[in-house]
Amino acid sequence: MSRADALTTLTDREAGGAPDRDRGTGARRPWGIRRARTWSVLLLFAVLWSLWDAGVGRRALVNPGGWELQRRFWAAAVHPDLSSSFVSTIGHDARTTIAFAVLGTALSVLIGLAGAVMISETWWRSRRPDRRDVRRRAGWLASRGLWSVPRGIHEAVWGLYLVNVLGRDPLVGILAIAIPFGAITAKVYAEILDETAGDAYDALRAAGAGRTSALAYGVLPAALPDLVSYAFYRFECSIRSAVILGMIGAGGIGFRLSLSFQALAYREMWTAIYALVIISAVADWWGSRLRRRGTARRVRRSALLGLALVAASIAHLRPDFGRLVSSSTRALVVELVERSWWPTAPRDGWWGLVERAVDTFQMSLLALVFASAIAIAIAFVAARGGRTPIRRAASLVARTVLVFTRAVPPPVWALLVLFVMYPGPLPGAVALGIYNFGILGRLCAEVIENLDDRSGRALAALGAPTVAVFAYATLPQTAPRMAAYALYRWEVALRETVIVGVVGAGGLGRLLEQQRAAFDYSGMLATVIALLLLSGVVDLISTAMRRTLR
Amino acid sequence: MTSILALHHVGVRFGDHMALVDVDVAIGPGERVALVGPSGAGKTTFLRLADRSVTPTSGTVATFGADRVPTGAADARAACRRVGTVHQHLHLVGPLRVVHNVNAGHLGRWTRRRALWSLVRPREVDAARAALDRLGIADKLGERTDRLSGGEQQRVALARLLVQDPELVLADEPVASLDPARAEEVMDLLCDVVAGRTRTLVVSLHDFDLARRRCDRLIGLRAGRVVFDAPAADVTDAMGHALYRIDR
Repeated sequence: MSRADALTTLTDREAGGAPDRDRGTGARRPWGIRRARTWSVLLLFAVLWSLWDAGVGRRALVNPGGWELQRRFWAAAVHPDLSSSFVSTIGHDARTTIAFAVLGTALSVLIGLAGAVMISETWWRSRRPDRRDVRRRAGWLASRGLWSVPRGIHEAVWGLYLVNVLGRDPLVGILAIAIPFGAITAKVYAEILDETAGDAYDALRAAGAGRTSALAYGVLPAALPDLVSYAFYRFECSIRSAVILGMIGAGGIGFRLSLSFQALAYREMWTAIYALVIISAVADWWGSRLRRRGTARRVRRSALLGLALVAASIAHLRPDFGRLVSSSTRALVVELVERSWWPTAPRDGWWGLVERAVDTFQMSLLALVFASAIAIAIAFVAARGGRTPIRRAASLVARTVLVFTRAVPPPVWALLVLFVMYPGPLPGAVALGIYNFGILGRLCAEVIENLDDRSGRALAALGAPTVAVFAYATLPQTAPRMAAYALYRWEVALRETVIVGVVGAGGLGRLLEQQRAAFDYSGMLATVIALLLLSGVVDLISTAMRRTLR
Repeated sequence: MTSILALHHVGVRFGDHMALVDVDVAIGPGERVALVGPSGAGKTTFLRLADRSVTPTSGTVATFGADRVPTGAADARAACRRVGTVHQHLHLVGPLRVVHNVNAGHLGRWTRRRALWSLVRPREVDAARAALDRLGIADKLGERTDRLSGGEQQRVALARLLVQDPELVLADEPVASLDPARAEEVMDLLCDVVAGRTRTLVVSLHDFDLARRRCDRLIGLRAGRVVFDAPAADVTDAMGHALYRIDR
């Protein structure tokens, strides 16, 4: 049985409902299998088409001259720059990155709480449940639609816009994390509130309590552990985001990493990478420990520690909150809106925008297929609970690889891949694939750990060899869930194409970066709208495919 | 006569708790034996001794007339497939099609390659269909197992047992979660179709009357000891009352 607060459950909530949620017993859908097969065939053709378009088998993809640089980079892994001056620089940078993540998370939790109330069904439900109130239903749909926009735009794009109105201030990094993450948190919190709101809430409402007080008395206390647990999961994601934002100028380890990369100072890079691995491992460990063994006291202690971190982070970054409401900011917002409106085509016309969108789609698809293939394979090695010492050692190694691949930001992977591959969508796909492999592999390992494998043990008891137990019980019971997470991750990967696009991997991200450099704001708006539409299309495909997996 | 399952003065201890104390029982081929007794009497431990998932603390357990403990892996595998188990929760693999769940009964015999290839192109479909036909659900062969009703899934589990063709069938509370009519039906299938007249059946049951009606022999367990071991015809209501008595 999967625990109510496992990592997988959190992802289910983000994706909007568990993939294998019970649809009532006895419902027979013999065409269910065939539909899943149709999707697989379509997917196969889409992958082949993407590979063909990316030039696989048609032109040289690998640049043999780059292997020497690649070799020098990896050789530096054993000699990170540990001089005291550089280590103290990295220490300072690490504090900056963590501070961005902490403040971004804290703000996104506040935004999330407010948003959750606005988009929860409970809030919009009429006092008398038998009556369907059209106005309330419309209000619910409208606020849901409104809140889905900010989460369709990647943190990096928010950063590009915010820097225009707020200038060089830590507020940019904080808000770039807090706005999209706040919208995701709102969606998840709304689902938690709706799950928790039961008879207690209805009874309070029936007794005449207002909606706010009924929520505060009847729902919030019971939902609190889940809300806190998700906030810590968001913190794990915020760390990764803060690094990416750092690379595009917010400062911290990400920025140091890109400076060292430009100078080809590999030994410095490795110091930064090791620091990232440690930070990311500690954040992941903290969050998963809270989810697995989170007693009320531990949760409270972690929350207090979180508050202390918020105070320390404000002191470290010293964001100028006054800028949020200053008249110059307001003027800059007005100017930005005026210069952006109305959206215009890029230099090569609307058709060029469509071509870029197709590139982006292909890049995300290849990234995901690549990531999920190796993630699912390695998840079986990485899953905890091996019985022999060799299995346990292999699991530790696999886990380390996973932590490492997700701690290194995608733009760094992209630059590394670009050493040995000619530019185009393919290196972008490989870079995104490596990064998502780290995230997906961890999720899939948890699916396997949570599997209640009594069926497998029953087969082993009748003498089935290990391979057969794996093929007849373990794989069929876990593969649908893992595929569902891979499909959900595709939605996220599409948004992430922006950040590898920025470093030259192509697609809409590359276009956005060029337009930003040329101060072409109306063109940027068209590109962002194209990204939103594309992400809506991928969401629809992914949701339809996940439905056949149930 | 060689016995299928023989326990010689067996004791099983879990920590401080004695699950079985000096149990001395021999079960011959073709017998249908019911284990009865209150919760915690040691019925499950008895069954787990039979499929070798529990080793006795004292005494010896012999299956199929050989008290030699299987040594090599191939030996152990051969011993495994002669024993078939019915679980209360069935332990079927939901996302697989029925034919594969039934064919899982072959896994103790099949080579690795055959087992894997069968998932792509099902082998021995006729045998699977015949087994399902005897249980009355031959038309479900190609469906996904988790799309079937609870009763149909129960039949799939029994069909897997038919395909496995074990000499000794063990069943731990197979009808505990069913209403009386369905319990009767499942016991029918278990005794007549699966056990037949040739296989040995050892089943633990809560329902004392059901046990008397369906089995040839009853073994009453209480606090890890055998209280009685008698043909079903000789077991009286008074023996039942004494077995389930609550001490104060």
